Amino acid sequence: MAAVTEAKKRTVRINGCVAAAQAAKYADVDVIAAYPIRPYTATMMALAQMVANGELDAEYIVADSEHSQLSISHGASSSGARVFTGSSGVGVQFAYELYSPISGSRMPVQMMIADRTLDPPGDFGSEHTDALSTRDMGWLMGWSCDAQEAFDNHLMAYRIGEDPRVLLPQMVCQDGFFVSHITSDVELPDPGQVKEFLPPYKHPYPLDPRHPVSHGPQIMPEQGPPLQLERARAMEESMAVIEQVHDEFANIFGRRYDPWVEEFMTDDAEVVFFMQGAHAVTARFAIQHMRDRGLKVGLVRLRTIRPYPTDRVKEILSKFKVVGVIETNMGLGSVSSGGSLYAEACAALYESQQRPLVVSFMAGMGGEAIVLKEFYWMTQKMIDAQKRGKIEKRTHWVGFEE
Amino acid sequence: MSYTELTVWTRGIIMDKEGRDIVNSISASARLEGKFAQAMENYVDNPDRTNAPTRKYCRVSDGVIENELTYENEQPNIVVLVEGTMVKGWDYMRGMPPGGTLVINTHYAPEYMIRFVPGAERLAQLVCVDAAKLADHKWLYYRLGELGLDRLSTEGAAERNKAIAPDIAAPLIAAVVKTTGVVKMETIEPMIANKKAFHMALDELHIMPLNPVAV
Repeated sequence: MAAVTEAKKRTVRINGCVAAAQAAKYADVDVIAAYPIRPYTATMMALAQMVANGELDAEYIVADSEHSQLSISHGASSSGARVFTGSSGVGVQFAYELYSPISGSRMPVQMMIADRTLDPPGDFGSEHTDALSTRDMGWLMGWSCDAQEAFDNHLMAYRIGEDPRVLLPQMVCQDGFFVSHITSDVELPDPGQVKEFLPPYKHPYPLDPRHPVSHGPQIMPEQGPPLQLERARAMEESMAVIEQVHDEFANIFGRRYDPWVEEFMTDDAEVVFFMQGAHAVTARFAIQHMRDRGLKVGLVRLRTIRPYPTDRVKEILSKFKVVGVIETNMGLGSVSSGGSLYAEACAALYESQQRPLVVSFMAGMGGEAIVLKEFYWMTQKMIDAQKRGKIEKRTHWVGFEE
Repeated sequence: MSYTELTVWTRGIIMDKEGRDIVNSISASARLEGKFAQAMENYVDNPDRTNAPTRKYCRVSDGVIENELTYENEQPNIVVLVEGTMVKGWDYMRGMPPGGTLVINTHYAPEYMIRFVPGAERLAQLVCVDAAKLADHKWLYYRLGELGLDRLSTEGAAERNKAIAPDIAAPLIAAVVKTTGVVKMETIEPMIANKKAFHMALDELHIMPLNPVAV
């Protein structure tokens, strides 16, 4: 069996958008709700072609807006279909009304996000604010840093979200351009292996005239809290499922990811970056160069932000002297007056006996690439804080300071 | 360590696929040869419009490409103009280190074209190839209907024609590979759809050797 399946996997050169489309195809989705917006557009173009060519048997619905896209997804998922949708930037925002209803009715819709900055400046560059702004809506959420990881995350997210212990929608995020538009090697698995890993979706209470059920009816105020509690518990209970699914994925496909964080050169590190997404690729190169110069710097990349691995983050970040949070998102007027990731890091560390200094870096804003010398600059800021025993200020805007 | 940047300048919709085919086939060949390579489109040129200039990038290296996430090629060693009139008006030579190669799709000779090239003193060679003629290229107005269906801005995701270099890209790839050796001829040749145009181009290149100086 294993020998046969080995033979059917193949490596292709595709970008993150097409990797996401391939994942939807391998997941054999039933309904696709599309509406174009850069940079995720190419995902839907690729899927349209797969459906047109007969490679994928799915209902492909072109919506008239993102709001409709998510409404279609909600309805389709309620009928028991495996649903794939996606968006970017302001498109993610326009669909906002639907995020809570979809998770509230426990529909495991999957949404691909290729990040784009919100307006202004209205450019195509990647900032995580679009998806992050929906982070407390009851969707599982995490970032990949390359096309292969994006492909894998899509498959795993379906498996996690559709687990009867979870039944939650998933946002599978990748940086616009840095992942979505850069071509790299992606190993596509044997379809048989995918079937083994991701069985057909079966919702326990689909809309079906033969077995009438109600979804999302108007309820009395006192009926609300129990529903909210159940949704919160599903989010908590998903953590064990997430770990189990990552294990199974590694056993079947041979790629093992820590579900929560990637640690890079942290063994003896004193200062570390804490970040999400594609800039980790450049961070790794920068860290290797700084290691050559004797600097004890490392990287902790968050792979899953919802559910937030509070204890894991606390345990890991407590090992270091200084943590530099690279935001790539806007949290205007927030705790650090910079991005929103700072508060997530600090809150996890609050219960720690050994708290590192935490500083926030506004970098990669507007989709600017974070270049090596900016990582060097940020490392120096962390080392200065370590020497001084306190941070200079909570938030640095990289590129705007000496 | 050898590191090469290739930038292709082409025109939106009507010759966008040609530009993509050049960078994709060269980067794929480099990967087959065990090198590190990357191909991508200029992010802000897309979605492309008919005839608007668009840029495609390829990076080939013996080692890992640390600037993988930067948007543009800052120091192109090889520049290709898929459409000859682009020789005027665009700053395609910007950042080219001394010793570069410029390949132009044109029926003119290099001796004529060089007068339009800004910063030509950086070139080690100017290569002209009549790619449109060699590939028997049918221009936009002959096939607007086909292009309209097939070449709405795709960002490379959904082209109906899966063949690599069925048209003017084939002679241009031949020109790049023969004059720069960025990848091996035998690696890339099997990928090319228009083999006739590819092979004819190998004998019909107009190469003008130059003595590059630093600027």
